Amino acid sequence: MRFANSILQHLQDHFSADVLQQQITVDEIPTVWVAKEKIIPVIQYLKSNKHQSFSFLYDLCGIDERNKTKKTTAPPSDFTVVYHLFSYNQNHFIRIKVALRGAYPCLPSLSSVYKNANWYEREVYDMFGIRFEGHPHLQRILMPRTWEGHPLRKEHPARATEMEPYQLWDEKQDIEQEALQFKPEEWGMQRESDDADFMFLNIGPQHPGTHGVLRIILQLNGEDIVDAVPEIGFHHRGAEKMGERQSWHTYIPYTDRVDYLGGVMNNLAYLLAVEKLAGIKVPDRVKVIRVMLCELFRVASHLVWFGTFAQDVGQLSPVFYMFTDREKIFDIIEAICGGRMHPNWFRIGGVSQDLPKGWEQLVRSFVDHFPKQLKEYNNMVIRNSIFRARTRGIGVYTLEEAIEWGVTGAGLRACGFEWDFRKKRPYSGYEMFDFDIPVAHNGDCYDRSVVRVEEMRQSLRIIEQCINNMPEGSYKADHPLTTPPVKQYTMQDIETLITHFLNVSWGPVIPAGEAMSCIEATKGANSYYLTSDGSTAAYRVRIRTPSFPHMQMVPYISKGYTVADLLSILGSVDFVLADIDR
Amino acid sequence: MKWWVSKAGDTTGNISGSGTMEEAVSKSIMLTSLQDLVAWGRKNSMWPFHFGLSCCFVEMATSITSKYDVARFGAEVIRGTPREADVMVIAGTVFIKMVPIIKRLHEQMMEPRWVISMGSCANSGGMYDIYSVVQGVDKFLPVDVYVPGCPPRPDAFMQGLLLLADAVGKEKRPLSWVIGAQGVIKPQLTSMKDRKREERMNTVQFRGIDEV
Amino acid sequence: MPGHKIYSTPLWPLFLYAGIVMLLLAIILSLSYVLGQHHKDRATDKPYEGGIEQTGSARLRFSAQFYLVAMLFVIFDIEAVFIMLWALGFYELGWPGYIGASVFIAQLVVVLIYEWGTGALDIGINGKKLLKAMQYRKLNSSQ
Repeated sequence: MRFANSILQHLQDHFSADVLQQQITVDEIPTVWVAKEKIIPVIQYLKSNKHQSFSFLYDLCGIDERNKTKKTTAPPSDFTVVYHLFSYNQNHFIRIKVALRGAYPCLPSLSSVYKNANWYEREVYDMFGIRFEGHPHLQRILMPRTWEGHPLRKEHPARATEMEPYQLWDEKQDIEQEALQFKPEEWGMQRESDDADFMFLNIGPQHPGTHGVLRIILQLNGEDIVDAVPEIGFHHRGAEKMGERQSWHTYIPYTDRVDYLGGVMNNLAYLLAVEKLAGIKVPDRVKVIRVMLCELFRVASHLVWFGTFAQDVGQLSPVFYMFTDREKIFDIIEAICGGRMHPNWFRIGGVSQDLPKGWEQLVRSFVDHFPKQLKEYNNMVIRNSIFRARTRGIGVYTLEEAIEWGVTGAGLRACGFEWDFRKKRPYSGYEMFDFDIPVAHNGDCYDRSVVRVEEMRQSLRIIEQCINNMPEGSYKADHPLTTPPVKQYTMQDIETLITHFLNVSWGPVIPAGEAMSCIEATKGANSYYLTSDGSTAAYRVRIRTPSFPHMQMVPYISKGYTVADLLSILGSVDFVLADIDR
Repeated sequence: MKWWVSKAGDTTGNISGSGTMEEAVSKSIMLTSLQDLVAWGRKNSMWPFHFGLSCCFVEMATSITSKYDVARFGAEVIRGTPREADVMVIAGTVFIKMVPIIKRLHEQMMEPRWVISMGSCANSGGMYDIYSVVQGVDKFLPVDVYVPGCPPRPDAFMQGLLLLADAVGKEKRPLSWVIGAQGVIKPQLTSMKDRKREERMNTVQFRGIDEV
Repeated sequence: MPGHKIYSTPLWPLFLYAGIVMLLLAIILSLSYVLGQHHKDRATDKPYEGGIEQTGSARLRFSAQFYLVAMLFVIFDIEAVFIMLWALGFYELGWPGYIGASVFIAQLVVVLIYEWGTGALDIGINGKKLLKAMQYRKLNSSQ
């Protein structure tokens, strides 16, 4: 609070008080409303001032406020653009909102201040129709170029069944392919230099090396990459729009599939924000169960990364070993949660069921067996000279570049910065655990790999501490908004039965407000910024995923390398397409 | 080759081409057994196409690794280019931006080719009834086998592949485009739900969830 | 050849062999053409590029590094030709021939080491050198 007051005081001293207006939110992040004309000076001041420099643009999103029913003290607006900035040296967020009026408003672009604002603003334009003046290349990013309408606006249909059934005839196929074709002139690229022509190669959506439906267009001079343009949107499933149609409880399975290797970890990010809004405090047993499952999924996700990265670099065998280990993790997860990749097991206020009898032996046998495997993988992959030759010095970036482009997770720790949201802003009981943060210094592909392997070891430490110290207690919180409530009392008490029925069918009614959670997911920092209007469904779900800024940075770090190095870089960035496009 | 969408229970749609069933059956023994030999060869070496869209692809990749090992059944080689692949497994959600690409890749595949729709999203849009997802890949591609699940276990994917292999072994395809009757004669497929109904009705013991 | 008698080898096995090879080729090509089904959709003949239309054609002016590699290859290929010709007359040329060939090969080895050293054979960035340069710069800037 003290920090919030001091930063607001600074802002009010510098800029007059009438362009700023404060809003109190449930998650205690200082929130200010700034007028449209002053937004660039305010953000530049926040970025460049020495005491609490907000060097990291964490998120940029839009909200369509036209259907809000509850009246708040906020200034009236049709659309709001929200900026989340983060200061590493003060360990604090700040949220800046700009109120816009009109059906298709416009706003000055932030891409001259923060480099990573580029794609965020394209996404806001694509989803809302808000134009950013001064943006270098304002074009649709998630929807196809031929799409009409802006999906997250309240008048746009959400369901495919509310629109016409899909048909594909020949001319439509031609139009779509024409729209997808890359035209270098649009991006300001030359077709030829003085003595050679550039080749524009599509590392297309279907490619064994891109780990999903990602398209990268390369401008090649021989084998060397002159420039690269990633095109995303081939995996857009509308998770944010889906949040507005589903109740708070039935949205949980959709969160599982945002980072599809992370499983239950995504549920945690969503539920921390919901529980903040609802004011639910979960018991210790719930916290430890959640931490244990999240760390198991972190190991599983890193194993997939490890196997596929080794395969990209040329080693075809390690992937079989790692997937076999992953099957052992899935045995544990299936015994506890009932599902393999997408268990959606966490609930508002707790977890779905208690742990089964005999879970300790299962988890302990894995914890005993896995360190030996890690050692074998170290010798097989990390110490291999071909692996080192293909990853050392490739895709290098400095710490300042990483912060400027919004890199979080292992990519940031490989630059020498010891930052982990589990340690610095602990959530769900991580402050009770004892683990280290692995760090490396060069910021190349090799260091990112080493950091991730070490993270697996630290996760094992945390899991072992969970087995040894699992507290007794209830697996759900005792709060009226816990969904669904503990079934035991439902059969005896009419009040509990009514609450259970309403919560499961209609949905829990979470009080109005907004909250943001921030966790260290498998790929980096994952946040859910929820806006509630006091109804059974969210008003706006904003998912800030780590892989979106990571993919934006790929052209910057791959210029000058060869195509083979690009595959190493893509592997080391460790993205998941559903994480980029949601 | 021209195709058209037909309903699952429709018997008339399975036979296409210029020959009739009687003609095909009464062909010479030598050519028939040669056709059977070639069909047996095709059935045991169905090479999947490296085409993964979404989460189901991770389960498909898991079925290729050691524990589930779909290479035992002939799906040893995963080809990156459509011209060399036999089976296109639509593993994952069919996004609206991907549709022209999927269609183009399907057109570039050589005969004989089959399509397995893996996962709820590819079967019918799944739980994603949303503006950017096509409700099922059969809106624009002919599908041979549907594998339900979200995501289907690697075992379920293997079962789908084996069902397709079975059907491929019973197919009658022309040996050459210059001689013999043209057109593919496909066997009638029944859903596993109907086939396993007996077994399901007789299952009365279930494992509890409170013990590991 | 150690002996002094020159006897002629018959030529007809060579022609028979060539004839069988031609026949086999014709059988393979015609069988592949005739067997199997034919299939032609709209996109079947277009090049495969991840499912999307290509940008530009593949008939470009290539980058100079490829010509350099080709040039170096030609030099060493001609060296191989000369060595093979020397090998045909190995016994007649005796020691002086051997010494001459060694001098020739040694000169070209020196050329190879020079190219390797100047980096004419490298493609792309050398990661180790880049890392060293970055560390050097970090050290200098921190002083």
